[in-house]
Amino acid sequence: MRKLDPACKFIALLVPTFFLAAKPNALWNLAVFAVCFLLLFFSRVRLRLIVGIYAPVFLMAAAMFMTGYRFPSDSSSLPVNAASLNITSSAVYNGLLMGSRVLAYAAVGVLFALTTDRIHMVKSFRRHFRLPQSFAYGLLAAWGIFPHMAQEYRRARAALRMRGRKALPVSPAVLKPLLIKSVRWSEELAIAMESKGFSGAAKRTEYLPCRIRVPDLLLLLVGCVVLPVLILCL
Amino acid sequence: MKQEVWKLRDIILMAIFGVVFAVIYLVIFDGGMALSTVLAPLGLSNYAFEVIYGVWFMASTLAAYIIRKPGVALITEVLASSIELLMGNSGGLTVVLTGAIQGAGAELVFLLFRYKKWNFLSMSLAGMLSALFIFCYELYYLSYYLLAPSVLIGQLAVRFVSAIVFSGILCKVLGDLLAKTGVLKSYAIGASLKQPEVYDD
Repeated sequence: MRKLDPACKFIALLVPTFFLAAKPNALWNLAVFAVCFLLLFFSRVRLRLIVGIYAPVFLMAAAMFMTGYRFPSDSSSLPVNAASLNITSSAVYNGLLMGSRVLAYAAVGVLFALTTDRIHMVKSFRRHFRLPQSFAYGLLAAWGIFPHMAQEYRRARAALRMRGRKALPVSPAVLKPLLIKSVRWSEELAIAMESKGFSGAAKRTEYLPCRIRVPDLLLLLVGCVVLPVLILCL
Repeated sequence: MKQEVWKLRDIILMAIFGVVFAVIYLVIFDGGMALSTVLAPLGLSNYAFEVIYGVWFMASTLAAYIIRKPGVALITEVLASSIELLMGNSGGLTVVLTGAIQGAGAELVFLLFRYKKWNFLSMSLAGMLSALFIFCYELYYLSYYLLAPSVLIGQLAVRFVSAIVFSGILCKVLGDLLAKTGVLKSYAIGASLKQPEVYDD
């Protein structure tokens, strides 16, 4: 999964989720979750990382199950016969449907996130989705600031605590210095990037161009044709 | 020579606002998760995240309030959701699509005001329409139509309140505070303010 082109992988993983949404089926949701989990496991992602990411996902799925179970819309409107899973209660099936939906969508998202290099992804999107280069490089520049921003946020809260002031996480007292820094950083970054020729519409060459290969096309075929047909027909 | 509509400075500011509010969301996500776990046995866990949903509309409304150009709300929301995708969002791959939908809601309100009204009302309405747009999408994508109408109406009401608090009140306050510091002199909001005199020693 790591060697595939990010733009192709994005489309191939995204398209089936719309078909899952169009034809609610708990079995399909669970099957997608299981396949994505296995692919992640065999992509040499650290188990600890997988567990850390999936812990809140399982909590959300359980919570969604309870919501679907306790507040079903109308048992007659269930799109799939609950008997397909040997479940006699339509409320339980409704809960299972909603809980498994969370698992399926999250599994697809996690698979993409943990097997894709961020820089490669933006470069691939720029090339294949015709993303304007100012936006692509601007996005990468902003992404580079992310760790500093998180540190700055902690610093702003610590400064308030030192003065004996308590502030909510979204209090203007915390956000104001953060936003002032943001504006200054954005101006400095823009000047630095413009001085290096990262703005304008002039065409740039690439040291490592993103190319679509046969495995990428096969993945697109499976994600955009085979899976949707199977989901709709079975 | 054709003048560029989007300066690199604007694009980076919009993307950085996406980063700022992604950090804020990550901080309050744990609180939302804890509340969601508490409410789960009652089947009301969705409400925990509805309370903080308005944070996602802040980047677009604040950027639009500062830059005041057509398309800012939409593009900022798309850039903010792209940042979320880079962060490895576990909510799925549709974050960019949801960003576009939310941004379209805010953009539509500013368009209806012809990009001339920048006040509490226009910003609150922008947040509320973003909330409504994304709720309609979730009815399909998350199959919310399988839930009881009373729960859905309650969810939407809480989301509206969250949108007003975060997009309407907080963004307006933050935008005005920032403008008063003078760092936004080169943006539309700064130009519309009478700058305080600077006294040198």
